[in-house]
Amino acid sequence: MTEQRKDILDMLAAGTISAEEAEQLIAALERDQAPALAGHDARPKGKVKYLRVMVDATDNGEPSRVNVRVPLQLLRAGVRLAALVPPQALVKANASLSDSGVPIDLTQLKPEQLEALVEHLDEMTVEVDSPDATVRVFCE
Amino acid sequence: MPRLVTVRVNRPDRRPVRVWVPVLPVVLVLFPVVVLVVLAAIVACVVFRIGVVRALGASWRVISALPGARFDIEQGRTAVLVAIR
Repeated sequence: MTEQRKDILDMLAAGTISAEEAEQLIAALERDQAPALAGHDARPKGKVKYLRVMVDATDNGEPSRVNVRVPLQLLRAGVRLAALVPPQALVKANASLSDSGVPIDLTQLKPEQLEALVEHLDEMTVEVDSPDATVRVFCE
Repeated sequence: MPRLVTVRVNRPDRRPVRVWVPVLPVVLVLFPVVVLVVLAAIVACVVFRIGVVRALGASWRVISALPGARFDIEQGRTAVLVAIR
């Protein structure tokens, strides 16, 4: 129950307003709240279909540009495929990553976690601005 | 499943190359190779003790999810575009 609705009911209980007035006030409150809630989450969930990665950079004085669009469905399918990687391969990959200075334990990364990550990608926007490069990662 | 793959390559001082690859006819032409690849994948799954049905299902999902993917890379006057529809 919202604070305003509670105030209206308190006023009704105290006899300050009549039942009809309370009903009108609650109806007005609901009318005000509906657009506010719609605006809060304006981007409809489940509508985003693609992950976009855009890079604009200058490399040795030459402009370079990368524009990648990956369907989110492909990421989900990739997660399912990655779940099939045998544990012995993950151990070897861990050793190689560790040798490269990236001590990540891939065996701790569960498919459910990756799927949850993909599910919430639509709320993510990453923007990196540096003097000679701009990177944007977002969903559309 | 992907229907058409478009590849465009722009190189300095050369004519741009644009190729449209219809996936289904190419798969049909390369069907013997596709069968061999699938058999090799099945053998690999058995050797590494991976569920064959799960692996084939996951691979099919990846292939089915490819339409809409687009990779566009430009470096100076050189550009490569791959679009899957």
